[in-house]
Amino acid sequence: MTRSRIPQAAGLALVLIFAVFPFVYARADYPFIMHILITGFFYAILASSWSMLAGYAGQFSFGHLGFMGIGAYTAALFSHYFYLSPVPTNICTEYPFGDLYLIIVNPIGVTSSTLSQDCLREALTIWNGSVQITPMPVWLGIILGTVMGGVFGLLIGLLVLPLRAAYLALFTLGFSEILRAAISAEIEITRGQAGIELPYLFDSGITLFGRHFDKTDKLPPYFVMLFLLLLCLAIMTWLAKSKFGMFVRALREDQDAAAALGVNTTRYKVLVFVVTSMMAAAAGAVMAHYIRIITPNNLMILQMSLVVAMAVIGGVENVIAAAIGAIVIEFALELLRNSFEIGPFTLDMTVWRFVVFGVLLMLALRFARNGLIAPLIEYFTRGHVAKETVAIRTATPEGTEGPS
Amino acid sequence: MINLVVKNLNKRFGGLHVLKDVTFEVNGPELIGLIGPNGAGKTTLTNILDGAIKPNSGTVYLNGERTDQLAPYEVARVGLGRTFQVTRSFRRMTVLENLYVPALALEHHQTKAEMHDKAMSVLEFLTMAHLRNEYAQALSGGQQKLLELVRLLMLDPGVVILDEPFAGVHPKLMEIIYRYIERVNSDGKAIIIISHQMDSIFSLSRRLLVLNYGDLIADGPPDEVRRDPTVIEAYLGTDQDEAEPGEHGAH
Repeated sequence: MTRSRIPQAAGLALVLIFAVFPFVYARADYPFIMHILITGFFYAILASSWSMLAGYAGQFSFGHLGFMGIGAYTAALFSHYFYLSPVPTNICTEYPFGDLYLIIVNPIGVTSSTLSQDCLREALTIWNGSVQITPMPVWLGIILGTVMGGVFGLLIGLLVLPLRAAYLALFTLGFSEILRAAISAEIEITRGQAGIELPYLFDSGITLFGRHFDKTDKLPPYFVMLFLLLLCLAIMTWLAKSKFGMFVRALREDQDAAAALGVNTTRYKVLVFVVTSMMAAAAGAVMAHYIRIITPNNLMILQMSLVVAMAVIGGVENVIAAAIGAIVIEFALELLRNSFEIGPFTLDMTVWRFVVFGVLLMLALRFARNGLIAPLIEYFTRGHVAKETVAIRTATPEGTEGPS
Repeated sequence: MINLVVKNLNKRFGGLHVLKDVTFEVNGPELIGLIGPNGAGKTTLTNILDGAIKPNSGTVYLNGERTDQLAPYEVARVGLGRTFQVTRSFRRMTVLENLYVPALALEHHQTKAEMHDKAMSVLEFLTMAHLRNEYAQALSGGQQKLLELVRLLMLDPGVVILDEPFAGVHPKLMEIIYRYIERVNSDGKAIIIISHQMDSIFSLSRRLLVLNYGDLIADGPPDEVRRDPTVIEAYLGTDQDEAEPGEHGAH
């Protein structure tokens, strides 16, 4: 095996380890470790897609958590407000849908069900169990959330076309905060700070590998999130190697020079927003169904900082490095919760871990511009270049060597 | 046959009238020098020709297609390529990747092998083949200037505008750039060179355009332009001027 193949082999080994881990790990903290891994995969999607946007395309957007929230809230609102019923309720907004009725539940905000019920609960009370209503499929909500993320990515991508650097960062930060504020304010529909609940990813459980898994089991969401991460990484790796990747990197380096060389910079700037927003939205929708609640706090700037830090520490110009960075940091942050004693002092790591993490971020920014993992990958994939340059230069006939 | 028609171009920035009814034509593989003092409107004219800015009035036609309202990428695809006054290589991309960008942007459906072969042949011509996998940021300033020139060959435009190709360049590298200009020109492309290096521009060009504060004050063979009193007064100066620093900046 050549040295340049080592990162690929290591990546494959890592995927295999993640694939068999849930079957071989049997310690008492299994649910906790599985939860950390699912969360790690979620952050890996966010960090790697953000690295495609910021690291590859140079679009330093701070709105990525906003797109994640759009995916999560679309899935949540879809599952919360839309149902199918074989008979009309006659009190909800409803439309015939084949042999069934599409019921749109009226928003009632945050209120005790003993005081006020939505129209569907009222109908169910009247029906007294005689009518079975069908909730919307979870997968459809996830797809809708992903599409909605893409639509907003398109809008934001078009709006930020003339903006660069700090202006782009501030604009997208504004977008994310306005979105969060709007969700908080619209209590009637979104339930504001109380958050909106979602059904399980597999509400009736699922049978996998000949074994039935309950809806609360960690294994099905683990594989859903892992699959989504691998799918996003595969798409981004393919895009990075295609002309899309070439053009967005040229865009990052010099937008005017890229345009003067025939690159439709508008198209690729918008496209990279659409693609990465869809990935963030898909991750948000799946995560919301896994944790079963989404609140505006999930969109906070602190969360965005975490994603940025994960990508920067992993390596912002390499989507794989950013993903690995996210998983490692999520793991480290959770495992660093334990307090420990140094002589007479007790270090409460539930608080201090963020300081450790912050210092690591600052060190990475100061001393490892492309993170800690990306240079390692580059060492294997590009280690031969210097030797090759010298060898070819030496072999160049005298008098035609390059200028110095 | 290359045909660039610039007619009555006007451009204002606020109260500044940067280009005033500029009109000229380029027919076939001409080698043209564009000179003028700082602030004459040379870069503004280049930016209008490449679509980066739009004129207030006037038209530009390239090979029969109106280009003054097109985006830069569309102008590039019609057949006009340019370099920039300050070198603008894609620093965190390899030399080869720098060359692939214009080749892919043209959408000529060439195979990767064809694109690679073409890139290698232009790199070899400019003695840069050994640097193909290095990041552009690892190259010297002169090599980055060459890289910018090589990228243009991959775009394969009919009209090439070189903005200050000799600025800050070592004499040995200057020879390579001379060779490049001659080869590109002999390949049938029209070249417009903007430069303040009078020796180079007078020896290379077969036609000179002189801009002075937005006016095209001269258009003709270098020998004629050199003797034109308006040009001497506005830009070139006299031997006496050269002995008295602080006058017009070009030498």
